[in-house]
Amino acid sequence: MEYAQHLITATQEIFSSMIMLDVAAGEPFKRSKETLKNSVSGIIGLTGTSKALLSIHLPNTMAIDVTTAFLGMEVQEVDEDVRDAIGELANMLGGNLKTALDPAGSNVQLSMPSVVYGEEYAIDSLADAITVTVPFDLDGKTFLVELQLRKES
Amino acid sequence: MDFAKKIIDSTEEIFSTMIFIDISAEEGLFEGKQILDCHVSSMIGLSGDISAMLAIHCPGNIGLEIAGAMLGMELEEVDADVKDALGEIANMLAGGLKEKFAQENIHLELAIPTTVSGKGYSISSPTRSNRVIIPFNLKQGQFFVEMKYSLNT
Repeated sequence: MEYAQHLITATQEIFSSMIMLDVAAGEPFKRSKETLKNSVSGIIGLTGTSKALLSIHLPNTMAIDVTTAFLGMEVQEVDEDVRDAIGELANMLGGNLKTALDPAGSNVQLSMPSVVYGEEYAIDSLADAITVTVPFDLDGKTFLVELQLRKES
Repeated sequence: MDFAKKIIDSTEEIFSTMIFIDISAEEGLFEGKQILDCHVSSMIGLSGDISAMLAIHCPGNIGLEIAGAMLGMELEEVDADVKDALGEIANMLAGGLKEKFAQENIHLELAIPTTVSGKGYSISSPTRSNRVIIPFNLKQGQFFVEMKYSLNT
């Protein structure tokens, strides 16, 4: 559960320092195969001694609220601003997690972030990855932060 | 650096040596409206001298065709086998690109692949990134290999 703790620390730090929102972490779990509905997911790869994929999944309404708080401007729908903001959020979470996984700072790198969004989709990793998902509560709504990790053999 | 040529060469190598399907590349695109018809996409992050996200996008029937040929079995729906097979193809494509860039002294590292599937999703990348999309034809239709990247200077 060391990874869950890293995810919680990274998410709370980024939300409180960059978005000025306090988020409460719930119990980490292993997400099953259910699809994400009307959501926005920011995804970023980590490479090097820790090969991983970090993602944040937000329902559309939360993605809009978080973007509004993050950019300090009103947004109404999942547009380019929201997609860029959620991609940037994944990037910042990746940067924070990288520091936790690799304190020396040269052995883990980040890929470019990507954003998946739509009415209904599933995001799966290869079968041999360790997956940890942490739910976070913000104003009674839940978003997920997830790490899929393959240790260098 | 010729991204398009490297993508075409890597894709053709993998299809001729691992999947045994004849494919032909078309002229590269710089935006991807056709990708909207795709129902299964595998992507993988790359870091190093280039920060990137590489993806293969397939309409459902083409995903089944490719995964079926790779695994040597008849597949009916986009299930875990199909997602794993496409994830593995994304991984191999990225590996091929890594090798080709290494010959030009451009260093890349791979993250782990993930597969997105569903009826309604889109994938976007940061607005400031570069993008190359290569359509490939096979008997039953088309699939797309996409690389979004920015150079780390």
